[in-house]
Amino acid sequence: MTSLATARRTGLPTRGHNRRRTLAPYAFLAAPMAFFAVLFFYPLVQELITSFYTGPRADQFAGVSNFTRAFADANMRHSFVVTFEFAAGTLVFSILIGLVLAAMLNARLKGSVIFRGILLVPYLTSIAIVGLLWRNILDPQVGVLNRLLVAAHLPTQTWLNTSPVATIVFIAVWQQVGYTTLLFLAGMQGIPESYYEAAKVDGASPWQRFWRVTLPLLAPTTLFVSVIGVISSLQEFALPYLVTNGGPGDATSLYVFRLYDVAFTFRDFGYASALSYLMLIVILILSAIQLRIGRRDHGE
Amino acid sequence: MPRSATSHSRRDALRLAGLGVAGLAGAGLAGCSRAPSTPSSNTTTSTGSGGGNKSKTFTMYWNPGHVYKAYEKVVKQFESDHGVTVNWQKYQWPDLQTKLQTDISAGTLPDLVEQPGGDTAISLALTGDLLALDPYIAKDGEKMGFPSDWQSASVRPWQHGGKTYGIQIHLTCIQLYYNKTMLHDAGVEPPSTWDELLDVGPKLTHANTYALALNQVASYSDPWFLQAGAHLYDADSKKVLTPRDKAMKALQFQHDLIYKHKFSPPPTASSDYEGPQKLLSAKRAAMILSGPWDILPIKQAGGVDLGLALPLKDAQRKTTLAGSGVVIPAKAPNPDLAWDLIKRMTALKVELAVTEEATQTMPRKSWGKQPQVKSNPVVNAIAQALPYGVDWAQELAPTGKLPQIDDAFNTLYQSVAISNADPATAMSKFDSAAAKVLG
Repeated sequence: MTSLATARRTGLPTRGHNRRRTLAPYAFLAAPMAFFAVLFFYPLVQELITSFYTGPRADQFAGVSNFTRAFADANMRHSFVVTFEFAAGTLVFSILIGLVLAAMLNARLKGSVIFRGILLVPYLTSIAIVGLLWRNILDPQVGVLNRLLVAAHLPTQTWLNTSPVATIVFIAVWQQVGYTTLLFLAGMQGIPESYYEAAKVDGASPWQRFWRVTLPLLAPTTLFVSVIGVISSLQEFALPYLVTNGGPGDATSLYVFRLYDVAFTFRDFGYASALSYLMLIVILILSAIQLRIGRRDHGE
Repeated sequence: MPRSATSHSRRDALRLAGLGVAGLAGAGLAGCSRAPSTPSSNTTTSTGSGGGNKSKTFTMYWNPGHVYKAYEKVVKQFESDHGVTVNWQKYQWPDLQTKLQTDISAGTLPDLVEQPGGDTAISLALTGDLLALDPYIAKDGEKMGFPSDWQSASVRPWQHGGKTYGIQIHLTCIQLYYNKTMLHDAGVEPPSTWDELLDVGPKLTHANTYALALNQVASYSDPWFLQAGAHLYDADSKKVLTPRDKAMKALQFQHDLIYKHKFSPPPTASSDYEGPQKLLSAKRAAMILSGPWDILPIKQAGGVDLGLALPLKDAQRKTTLAGSGVVIPAKAPNPDLAWDLIKRMTALKVELAVTEEATQTMPRKSWGKQPQVKSNPVVNAIAQALPYGVDWAQELAPTGKLPQIDDAFNTLYQSVAISNADPATAMSKFDSAAAKVLG
């Protein structure tokens, strides 16, 4: 009896089997890898090459001047600062409000399932609709909010003019907080009840249980929310585009909004590509710092 | 379960890189539109009445607000005559520009493109991205009446270096739109000068209504500068917003209308230009500065007896021209067909049909002489204002720096009109921004 026959009879893998099993993962990976190669990696490499060129056709070699120019560009510096204000505001309020709402929902109150669903609606709504909705609500002359204030004999407000960055932070938080709430809620529900019981036995108050048990054990969730939040906030484009058009003046001209102008209004694709890569570097550095802090604080 | 520090770190690094890369791709691609799904040069199977016949696709980009039945009829006839399928894509102006820029980079150009003005067309012509139409004009110009039958102010903005890069298809201007009833009730006539505006302002401004609503879009402020005697750019001296004393007067006047006289509410930072129209429609503003694009929404809102007056006068009676034209990209696959469609769309009978359908005003001199134009009070009022129109950016466009100066001008205007900045300080900031752009 041959070894092959033995292998077939006993169900042991043959050499052909082994080869097929070795190649199978690559076959499965081929399609997504091709997808990423064509739609992500090729454009990224192309964008990197473009960042070293200048002119409306990006056909004049410029060396690293597009990168150095960014540091001397007052408009980009302004956009960078505004973007950080936006990202910080959005992140802090999304986490704080998300935590509070999650703690309330975790109390298993009546109707909490419905409330969870409602909380997710803004997050699931298209950003275009969210932008137009809030633009109309906040319009100082014909917006719903000021009509309500007038009806309540309160002074009308011009939030889009007087506090434009705070206003788009508010809209971003309004949209994202449902998502962060659900993430925190999932994290809270994964904390074993026995930890709370032990804390109760030790005489811990509800606040102490939240502060000493819940918060530390939510660290991985908080880390995830903060990393994702920073990445998405630093790349925000839709809200200034839809709500304020970067105004008044350049007050809400966030980094990517400005970058879009550089590329498609000023036709400076080389500079816009360099700006994209600078933002990538900033995002990588910030995310690395966040991950390191998260790992150090929680002993991983 | 604790994991090894090394594997954790590598995996996190990979995840981080992936997130960052995906993020950058998202940022980079956020504003990008796709290349045409059916490139113009491709031969595609027509799904129209031809039923399986091979037909060429002709691609054109258009503003959705200008898709009139009269044009649809022309396009249908054009398809039939040439055996082509017209892929008529509609985009709002900013999106259309973005789409076109992307196409230029990708080399997949449409055949015919509508443009909001000669300034934007010249920016494209400067980089060799538009086809000079002179050979076509030499061949067909006399027969179609171009340029002799076009108002000269509608021809010059599309020319650069002795060549013509576009044909104006609609021509209008910014002028005073007012609520006749509100002015009648206040016992005032529509103002003709800045001084008259200051006279009627208090009579039209009340607790919840304003005499005038200024727009947040900076281009609506151009007429004030022209009326004061200033212009955007002087090519000889290479100065912007000059003469400076006149430009400052215009900027200060607009600031005063909002914050001193309080005839106008501060415009709202927004991505649309419809705020003043909404206030006029809601009878919360008696007057606005606008163009015919606001007529339909005002009519649809109902209840406003709309009147149109000539542009205001200070040192001179002037305003900015508006409208649109069409251009053929340099690498358009079917330039001859594109020119044929231009000829059809700019025929006098088509212009008159569009005017009747949409109160759209036209660049032909002969159009203004038609009885149906003269007898329509709204169209006639616009036609009366057109001779006062000038192209605000004509001298700056050939420098290729118009988009950057426009951006700085927008910041100047909005900081003064919306954020109540001191006009002199804002002008000083504008000067330093403009100096960096112009060198």
